[in-house]
Amino acid sequence: MSILYDEGQQAIATESRRALEARVSKDDLLPLLQTQGEYHQAFWSTAKEQGWTALALPEAHGGLALGLVELGLIAHQAGRTLSGAPFLTSSFGAAKAIELYGTDEQKAHWLPGLASGDTIGAIAFASGADPLPAKPAVTLTGDRLNGVAGAVSGGLFADVAVVFASGPALALVDLTSAGRTAVDSFDNSRCIADLSFADTPAETLATGEAARAAALHILALQAVVTAHEQTGGAEALMEIARDYAVTRKAFGQPIGAFQSIKHRIAELYGLVELARANCIHAASREGAGDFITAAAAARLSATEAYDTAARDCVQIHGGIGVTWEIGLHLHMRRARSLALEQGSSFFWEDVLVDRLAGDEG
Amino acid sequence: MSDLEAWRAKAATWCEAMVPTFGKAARKGLGVEDDLALGRRYQKAKFDAGFAGINWPTDLGGQGLGHIEKITFEAEEMKHGFPSFYFSISLGMPVPVLMQFGPDREFVKERVLKALQGEEIWCQLFSEPSGGTDLAGLRTRAETDGNGWKINGQKVWTSWAQYSDYGVIVVRTDPTVAKHKGLTYFWVDMKAPGVTVRPIKLAGGDSHVNEVFFDDVKIGDDHRMSPVGGGFAVAIATLMIERYVATDSAGFGPHLGLFIDLAKEVQLNGRPAIEDGRIRQQIARNYAMRAGLDSINVRARRMMEAGMTPGAEGSLNKLVAVRSRQKLSELAIDLQGVGGFAFDEHASPKDDWASSWINAPTGRIAGGSDETLLNTIAERILGLPQDHRPDKGIPFNQIPA
Repeated sequence: MSILYDEGQQAIATESRRALEARVSKDDLLPLLQTQGEYHQAFWSTAKEQGWTALALPEAHGGLALGLVELGLIAHQAGRTLSGAPFLTSSFGAAKAIELYGTDEQKAHWLPGLASGDTIGAIAFASGADPLPAKPAVTLTGDRLNGVAGAVSGGLFADVAVVFASGPALALVDLTSAGRTAVDSFDNSRCIADLSFADTPAETLATGEAARAAALHILALQAVVTAHEQTGGAEALMEIARDYAVTRKAFGQPIGAFQSIKHRIAELYGLVELARANCIHAASREGAGDFITAAAAARLSATEAYDTAARDCVQIHGGIGVTWEIGLHLHMRRARSLALEQGSSFFWEDVLVDRLAGDEG
Repeated sequence: MSDLEAWRAKAATWCEAMVPTFGKAARKGLGVEDDLALGRRYQKAKFDAGFAGINWPTDLGGQGLGHIEKITFEAEEMKHGFPSFYFSISLGMPVPVLMQFGPDREFVKERVLKALQGEEIWCQLFSEPSGGTDLAGLRTRAETDGNGWKINGQKVWTSWAQYSDYGVIVVRTDPTVAKHKGLTYFWVDMKAPGVTVRPIKLAGGDSHVNEVFFDDVKIGDDHRMSPVGGGFAVAIATLMIERYVATDSAGFGPHLGLFIDLAKEVQLNGRPAIEDGRIRQQIARNYAMRAGLDSINVRARRMMEAGMTPGAEGSLNKLVAVRSRQKLSELAIDLQGVGGFAFDEHASPKDDWASSWINAPTGRIAGGSDETLLNTIAERILGLPQDHRPDKGIPFNQIPA
């Protein structure tokens, strides 16, 4: 896989950007924040129609057999427009878990629906602060799952979840018979829910150390998609800041002529380009021995880029930047929710340093 | 194996073979004069082996290959600490500019061949005491003198001027027009009467930069490399010759692996520093930053191989890498506690933390300070307004000093 996008890939970027800009507006997104348990239907139907849900899944199961590079390009555009649904990442993660670790029967049962987007997948690995806990809050005994998986993104609408359970084990669970409680969040469009299991039937995908390795791999795949989304968000904010700085005047000149402002935006350019470079590299390393390392680097630089861009873009706007109406807080919220969803920077820093220091494979 | 991979392999093999004669160990303990002499022999060896002037025309002694072959060789060369930096400015800018703008082609050919073989060194006389960033604000002047010119004034920060045979210089030939319009570009003989070179000792202890004074230095009009008043364009061409050079995401300081080794060796509060969250965070952040630069550089190389022009993000290298090298070096010294005081003036900034730290500010300033680079990114890439420039459009001699 090359680190350069080819013509087909560039066409995917252009087309997805066009589709999203036509269908997603911040005015649709603002109301989602005040209502628990709603996601942006227009985004998700666009994703389904355009085949983005099928993109990185095998042809045998209704997929398009493209890869992380292409999905990343779309995630980047989704990040630019603040896509109001968490499923692009989580359904992909769930599908990859089934594709990589499931039986033929499980694949035949779940993958076509996940590929079409009619089935929604979720990943439930975290317990509290730990994205991949030593002692998971959910237990798998035989083929029954018990306990509560807290704050699962997309959990409110997911049909199927891949759960990291004590054992450790990676379990596949049909959520029809699971309990769900919506969690009120600073970014309600993520449809976060506590999923509760009481002797809920589940199937095992992996156990023991293999389960932990599988979970980390799935988390890394999702992290690369999310990192693209974060980079897209950061890039959009950098452009918003730039556009504002050339039009808004103070003391008789555009504020972008003040070095305190122009240097801040130039620094954002650096963060965005480093994150983009790491994202492209990580996506091109899928399947390689250093994939986790590359994913961690992408994740860390993308998180830094998006958070910093959100902070600085608001700052550059001054008072107008903190109003509900202008919507920069949508990016602020999304930057933080994406920073948490696939494991915080603390987690990825440790994953990365363990690898660099040779303490891990 | 692609042609480029074959080239890389050939370069790597040759460089390996040169290590005993010209590598770090061979240079250890040499004074500057001896090291320069070794450097001249190394440059000659490069020329003989077909690795000098890689992307220069063959009729001028070059190899007639592409930029991609050049940076591929340099990436291999950089691994061994050869004494090549005496020629980096000379062959980097002044000599290519001479090739492009030198009026007397026989003279040009002779100079280029000598420079390629390490016999002659060229310097670049741009910066002045009153202005580095504001290149067009320079005050060294040339007045007509018979059929030629007479130069008076002072340049500064001129790398390797004390060892240079020739230099390219931008001077003011007309103070009555706006500052960019009154400049002319010449070459000068650094041994000519009236040229005085005075080395400047830098914070780190070495003296590769100089002040250069011109007192009634007479040159012929055949030294002129631009139209009279057209020197600024050639000066900019000099600075733009190579946007992508061999890059180093470590900011020409120590590799991150050395920091990790240090963090494994030393203890913080009774535990290995590598287990300390503050240290781990710095390692991880540095890695992510350096990996990003590496990917940008790999992508740029791939684009050049495919005949495309790389994006502007290549401009981030120096800005981002040297800043982080400076901070990481501070942290490495901190980690050693009072053991970090030890300082060897001749240690290499590539593998010694104190040397890396004390020399890092030079890297953040030379070739455009962080602030200048940020302005360039903001104005050229992002389209933000230019800084307020009260001297714009005003004749040079009416700008308040």
